[in-house]
Amino acid sequence: MPEPDRDLTRKAIAQALAGLADTGHLTVVEVAADGVTTFLLHRDGNGRPRGRSWPATWPDLAGEHGWDADPAAAREAVLRAARVHPSPADVILVAASADPRAERALDWLRAAHPAAQMLRGDAPTAALIREVMADDPLTRPYELVVLLADPGTGGLRLTGRRLFPIGSRPGARTRVALRCTEPGAHGTALAVVTWQGPEPRLLSLQSAPLAPGRYDVTAELVRPGRVRFTGLPALSPDHRDWERLVGSLPDRLPGRAGPAHLVCAVEICGADDQVAERLSRARQMISFASGELGDLLRVSLLAYAAHSFDPSAPEHPVRVAAWNADAGEALDALGELEEQGAVTRGYPYHPQAAQLEDALAAVAGRLGHTDPAPAVVLTVGGRPPHPPRTDRSRILPCPRRHDWRKLVAVLRQRPGTTLGAICDHAAGQAHPLWHELGATALAHLEAVDVRGLAADLGLTAPSPVHLPFPLLDETE
Amino acid sequence: MQPDPSRGRPDHDIAMWGAPGSGKTTLLAALYIALTKSGNGWKIVGSDPASSDYLVERTKDLLQGKVFPEASMALERYHWSLIGPPPRKTGFWNRKAKPGQPPRIGIGMIDAPGGLFGAGQRPAGGPSPQDGSGDPRRQELLDNLEHSRGIVFLFDPIREFTYGDAFDHMYPPLTRLAERMLAAGEFTDGKLPHHIAVCVTKFDDPRVLETAEARGLLTTDDDDPYRLPRVAGDDARELFHELCQVSATGSADMVLETLDQYFHPDRIRFFATSSIGFYVDRRARRFDWDDFQNMLPEEVDEDSRIRGQLHPINVVEPLLWLGQRLAAIRSAKGVS
Repeated sequence: MPEPDRDLTRKAIAQALAGLADTGHLTVVEVAADGVTTFLLHRDGNGRPRGRSWPATWPDLAGEHGWDADPAAAREAVLRAARVHPSPADVILVAASADPRAERALDWLRAAHPAAQMLRGDAPTAALIREVMADDPLTRPYELVVLLADPGTGGLRLTGRRLFPIGSRPGARTRVALRCTEPGAHGTALAVVTWQGPEPRLLSLQSAPLAPGRYDVTAELVRPGRVRFTGLPALSPDHRDWERLVGSLPDRLPGRAGPAHLVCAVEICGADDQVAERLSRARQMISFASGELGDLLRVSLLAYAAHSFDPSAPEHPVRVAAWNADAGEALDALGELEEQGAVTRGYPYHPQAAQLEDALAAVAGRLGHTDPAPAVVLTVGGRPPHPPRTDRSRILPCPRRHDWRKLVAVLRQRPGTTLGAICDHAAGQAHPLWHELGATALAHLEAVDVRGLAADLGLTAPSPVHLPFPLLDETE
Repeated sequence: MQPDPSRGRPDHDIAMWGAPGSGKTTLLAALYIALTKSGNGWKIVGSDPASSDYLVERTKDLLQGKVFPEASMALERYHWSLIGPPPRKTGFWNRKAKPGQPPRIGIGMIDAPGGLFGAGQRPAGGPSPQDGSGDPRRQELLDNLEHSRGIVFLFDPIREFTYGDAFDHMYPPLTRLAERMLAAGEFTDGKLPHHIAVCVTKFDDPRVLETAEARGLLTTDDDDPYRLPRVAGDDARELFHELCQVSATGSADMVLETLDQYFHPDRIRFFATSSIGFYVDRRARRFDWDDFQNMLPEEVDEDSRIRGQLHPINVVEPLLWLGQRLAAIRSAKGVS
């Protein structure tokens, strides 16, 4: 059975606390058999009730001359012990004893604070106040800090997922679906904030090393200022600086591994060992990209040699060994080229240039502008192209008058096209075209970092990035 | 080509002169081809078996598309005769014309590894390059120049652009020649008595052709079925001057000034020359500004090659001009 006085007192204090404004104070003065205890209650920045108490015994209040010898001093001592906040404040007086000293003290207090609410109760006021504070309904909404990713750009935005609205009481529960990426050194942070005005205010920060994946999390309001999460590994308090935590947030999610079209154009004229080396590099790149992207990778393979400048010697046109094939087919075609080895070696084939411009024309023509698939054009060779007309380079003009400058411009302007090259020569000695062909990445044939080159050309699976906060799973 | 069946000294000796690699031998080999193609009745024959063999071999190489190495590997000393069509003497009362004595122009060429007078090519401890009497090869070149009255001087603008040594090869022997002519009393008007045909070689090179085009010096011969670009005689001097501006050493301008200093203006003529000519597609049979290079770049350790048919330009003309001018002088002397 509830005790009527206790309930009345509890209810009165709870009402007063519920009505307490952000800047207000509530003073509860308990006058009991052993003395006077003052409780000062207020709300912190998150609207959470906070309280302090100051007990004073009757001997403390009586002073050195005794209660009866100097009543004025005793009165002053009692009023001082009440510590009523100078600002407008609610005052509740709780009479918990019929002791004459208590009655007298209550009289003084009522006279000093005529607006004070007067209650009678036997239960310890401290316990009552703790109960009231723990059961205080929320005066501000609680939100969990989560990340939202733009589905188009992968751009990341911090936002709040509502956990508990104003008025929520302890025991309230809510479910939220979260997604976590690769955990960093500090794990994933679960931050709860409150809202008052335009800016959120951090209420609590905990973290745990959450494995990548989806989590169905239940948040429970334990008491004002305390939210418990279940459905996650044990969380630990996180003492990281909030500004640094937010500052560690990347701008966007790493690009997803999407379909990629790797177009390899390989020069197959010149010395046998050099041709073999070029084909070997192409094989390494195709194999590596295939391992990274799997079925998402399509491969095309073209081989080009040198022009013949003697009608009696046959011209070997650009050979499209594979087009938009899977990696296995392309590697089979590459094997045939490796078996064939170098072609068009020596006179009357041009000794210093190759049909690079013809290869570019073939690639540009086949890729076209309408195909929206992103493409990586990787050229492997070393000779310069033929100019479209006789010029000072002394390299004979392309028999088909292809203009390599225009063709490179076409490829560079094609949406989603990345240009990379593996050149026989170091960058300083390469023809200017090779710098354009390697606009995104230019590697030297003798020292190719296959993984690095593939990464530069976007042919690797995205590297995991750590997100300090969980992503809100919006698929639910 | 056969050794000259007739005996005796040719009418006019012409000396071939130029820096090593300037294209003297290529020009001579092209001369046979150009004469044959022209159908004007002129032919070139060797004055001795060695000279005939040399010409035969070089002509054969050239026809097979192989250009000669740039530098001579040994001392070369050759003599040929350019023999023209015999004049027809019309008989009195319209009787059958009888052939007269054909005109003959003697051509001599001396060449040696690294040239004879080039800077930095002097033998260690040897005589000064100014001293023509010290080195027998120089002596021979000077003798050749002294005894000739016509000089074909080859100026290679590409070599000049790269090395800039035309003046080095020209100036020392010229001063020695002037010294000899002065001593012989043949420096009468303050100039050498020689005629000189200055051949600006490698006219087929894109850099040379572009220079001529940029200066507006090009023309075409209406009778030329291929419509090959040419530089008219009067404009060739300007082309020479223009090409001198890009000399590697900046001394090419002095070549022109030295020529003017030592040769009478009436006795100098410039020619824009190409021994191999421009490439002409066999099907189109017309000069193509987009594709005219006739020289294939050389591979490592291999000689340059010629891409298509030979179309020598201004190869015969310098020799015939010299021959005509010398014949006129001889004729005038004979009359006087």
